[in-house]
Amino acid sequence: MPGVLTSYKKQNGTLSVSKDNRSVIWTPSFSSGSTSAVSVLVSQITNLQQTPATSARVSIKIVAQAPSSTEPETHVFSFTSTDARTDQVNITAIIRNAVEIAKNESSRAVAGAAAPPVNAGGQPAAMAIAHAISTTPRNDEFWYDDSKLLSDVVLQRSLLDANPSIQQRFNESLKDKPESISIIQFSNQFWSTRIHLLRAHAVERAQHQGTYNVLSEIKIKSDSDGQAKINLSREQIQLIFNQHPLVKRVYNENVPPLDEVQFWVRFFKSRLFRKLKGEKNLDEYETDAKLDKYLDYDENADHPGNLQESHVPHFIDLEGNEQDYSQRYTKPDITMRPGNNEKPEPILKVLNSMSEKLIAAVASSDSDPHDPVGMDENAFNEIQLRDLQSRNTDNRVPLDIKNQSLFFSRQKEDTISTQAKMYSKQSPHKVLNSLRKDIDPELATSDGKGGLKLDAAIGVHEDSDSDDEEPGGKRRRRVGSTTSRNSAILQLLRGVKQRRAQGDDFSSFSGTFPPIEPTVLGLSPSIYDNLNLTNNTTIEFLHYFWSVFLSGDPDRANEIPKLVETLNKSLDRIKAVSDQAEAERNERIEAYKRQHAEKQQRSGKKFKLDISNIKGGAAVVNKTIAPTMDSIGEATEKFKKVFEAQRALQPQ
Amino acid sequence: MALTELPQLQMGFRDIQTANTGFLPAPPPSLLTVVLDTNPHAWELLSSTTGLTLSNVVANLLVFINAHLAFNHVNQVAFIASHVKRAVFLYPTPPKPTPNTNTTANGSAPNGTDTINGTMGDSNKYRPFARIEHEILTNLRALISSTTTSTLRSTTTTMMAGALTTALAYSAKQSVLLSPLADPISAGQDATADYNDGAPASRRGPPLTSRIMVVSVSGDLAHQYISVMNAIFAAQRQKIPIDILKLAGDTVFLQQACDATGGVYVEPEVAEGLLQYLMMAFLPDATARRYLVMPGGGEVDFRAACFCHRKVVDVGFVCSVCLSIFCQPLSDGVCLTCNSRLSLAGAITPAPALFPRKKKKKKRIAGDGTSGASTPMQGVTPGPS
Repeated sequence: MPGVLTSYKKQNGTLSVSKDNRSVIWTPSFSSGSTSAVSVLVSQITNLQQTPATSARVSIKIVAQAPSSTEPETHVFSFTSTDARTDQVNITAIIRNAVEIAKNESSRAVAGAAAPPVNAGGQPAAMAIAHAISTTPRNDEFWYDDSKLLSDVVLQRSLLDANPSIQQRFNESLKDKPESISIIQFSNQFWSTRIHLLRAHAVERAQHQGTYNVLSEIKIKSDSDGQAKINLSREQIQLIFNQHPLVKRVYNENVPPLDEVQFWVRFFKSRLFRKLKGEKNLDEYETDAKLDKYLDYDENADHPGNLQESHVPHFIDLEGNEQDYSQRYTKPDITMRPGNNEKPEPILKVLNSMSEKLIAAVASSDSDPHDPVGMDENAFNEIQLRDLQSRNTDNRVPLDIKNQSLFFSRQKEDTISTQAKMYSKQSPHKVLNSLRKDIDPELATSDGKGGLKLDAAIGVHEDSDSDDEEPGGKRRRRVGSTTSRNSAILQLLRGVKQRRAQGDDFSSFSGTFPPIEPTVLGLSPSIYDNLNLTNNTTIEFLHYFWSVFLSGDPDRANEIPKLVETLNKSLDRIKAVSDQAEAERNERIEAYKRQHAEKQQRSGKKFKLDISNIKGGAAVVNKTIAPTMDSIGEATEKFKKVFEAQRALQPQ
Repeated sequence: MALTELPQLQMGFRDIQTANTGFLPAPPPSLLTVVLDTNPHAWELLSSTTGLTLSNVVANLLVFINAHLAFNHVNQVAFIASHVKRAVFLYPTPPKPTPNTNTTANGSAPNGTDTINGTMGDSNKYRPFARIEHEILTNLRALISSTTTSTLRSTTTTMMAGALTTALAYSAKQSVLLSPLADPISAGQDATADYNDGAPASRRGPPLTSRIMVVSVSGDLAHQYISVMNAIFAAQRQKIPIDILKLAGDTVFLQQACDATGGVYVEPEVAEGLLQYLMMAFLPDATARRYLVMPGGGEVDFRAACFCHRKVVDVGFVCSVCLSIFCQPLSDGVCLTCNSRLSLAGAITPAPALFPRKKKKKKRIAGDGTSGASTPMQGVTPGPS
């Protein structure tokens, strides 16, 4: 930004804020020995003062404290231009903004690093800045910082684009949010419950594809004329050169005489190409005078520092164990022979060395690159022969469990249930007497020999239809009567149907309920989706409501009534869906009735009109959404209660 | 399949068949353990509200047991009364604690058999049925007559945890008796391998499929929460389903027992149709249930009881070390069960503030301190469609 004319220590100069907003700089207009340029770091500014607007003299005072010094430094700049007041207002606004930004950054960094909370600027902020700068390069930690994820709008947008269901949810909720809640507040709330998704997405985005074995990827296709055709991209050529330095050398030595296309055509036909790919070279293959001379050239000879090979642990080194392995009667398998595998199966060696190269090009993610090369501790532990060692000492942490019944018995009285209260009203003597009478061996159902006449005792009379009519005229169900057994059958069949409606019980984890198909409910897919959507947004607002309600933050108090309003609106939305479903069901019933009438007309017979088979409608919707409705009820109820209680305490 | 063409080879190949495909020539023996809640308080209440009395239920259960035994001659039965203060075996009759008493495989004491020989001459009854009926009734009468009014006055709850534990122990014992382990040294390993359907099962006889059926009439099990839950987890591990027939009472945990062990939970609307419920819902054993859709599928109350007051809680606080549940944050931050010192900063939610702060005047409204803790549990978010 352009500087403004000021004087500092009676020297004229220009005061400006650096481009990155990190420091306030004052430079003298003409250099003199007495005063040099002044630079104050914005992050170190602890106080900013200006002369009152009415005062004739216009100046600002900047108080800054460097982390190293204990005494704050004070700089006073007087504005000297003709329009001093405007200059002053402008520059103060800019400095204030810069300080604001610096503070935000530091507090964010503090939140990530779990440092003590920042006071209003000053030393902790400056240290936090230093901290933030030192941690940013460590990328992996960066991903796990919640506040960073929450503030990364680009990342959030990209996740929304990648995940349509979240996007839908986000958009729907955004559409229905109360006016008073800003988009930023809303999206913060939305993402705060989905930080894990953001993190996963961030990690996913940070991944990129490594290199691949390029020669095996290049396929020679022949077109309709029988001409061999190869598509070769620039990147592929680059990869070939990187992976096979030999090809690069051959190219360098031969391309000036040959042109590029010629070179590649000859290369892909040559024995060299086959060798590099790991194929066997048969005698009948055509020879190439120029390229064949490189055949015997060992590609790896130029690079003796092949890291992996020098660090094969003896444990798996075939050659290293050769001398200790004398009792051998049969030749080992081809892959288990030490030494040169080139003769029988060149592909083994080619693939191995290729893989080594590829791996070497990728920085290992699971180990510190500064660790010593070779075997690390984990690998060492893994190949150790453990069964010969003595057992480890038990390192479990003992739990000091107290006998719980000791400290509960005293509170027994106040937790007595309604049932227990009813029991306690009964006289134990009477209770015992009636029970003894009940199982008395002299009863009518007893067979007199200590057993029971079971057929009589269970009260099942197959031949009686209306056996509920007791002689006394009192209609009371008798144990084992036909009607009671029939209602039992109905109840059980209902239970069986319900279990079946929930699908194959074995497909879901125990303790969970399998999802209910819309067809079972009798709702059309569009209404089902609508219901799903309404439920999603409602749950979103319930989340929002509880997090604000339970925050106890008076500054957010204004949001709560609006959210309650939104929840009430959600009820309207649910109502709308159920009305829609009801209308749909009525339509279907009408259609069925018409069909029924037609059928009757056509056949001339009477059929029973049974509309109970037509499922769906408001009842099903309300049943499905009942838990959500309960939650809304709970939330608004709680709000009302606390609201009333607090209004009473509120000063008029 | 080659077996149908060469039936004579079937016997020789049976072992291989069993090991490879799990195909069994006959249904495996099934042990039914009936746990009957005999809390006199509850029965008095139940018989005054419905027509159902203890003798009715016992008679129906006897028919049910007979049906179970008639299915397969190797099927077994045990009958345990969950009485006040104790759980008692009604069948098989526990052996008298005299040194020369010897029990048969199914545990019936010789003196019980004697009585039957003496008094039971009913030619209309299948003898094994009659024997079980006689033993159960005799023991039940003895149990009721030995109950004193002072016992009833002191407690109103039933010993369900004890009965479940006894039933589990009996099931384990019977399954070992039926298919003894090859050598006692490998017993420990074998037992664990068996849970995972490990190979050792093949060299033993067909395994015993056990189930426990609880006829529950009294509620108020919160005081036995921990022991009941432990029994449930043991049953779950042993793959023993716990079926519940709830005639009365309000027991949250028994429903969880069903759900966790894959048992059947039935709460009859018409208790008088008891026999129908028994026969339709509870008769199939674990083997048959694999091919049937069992009734149920209703809502399960998954709430737990807190360890401090034995209250059933909607929202509670869980010790991060020993998983004890508490209904309110611990005052001193020390877990009552394991003495671990817990940091409770996150557990205490601030009181909601519904009015913005006035300028300068700090206004923190006390509100109701507990309200913060109840986030509704029903709000289940369905996954994105």
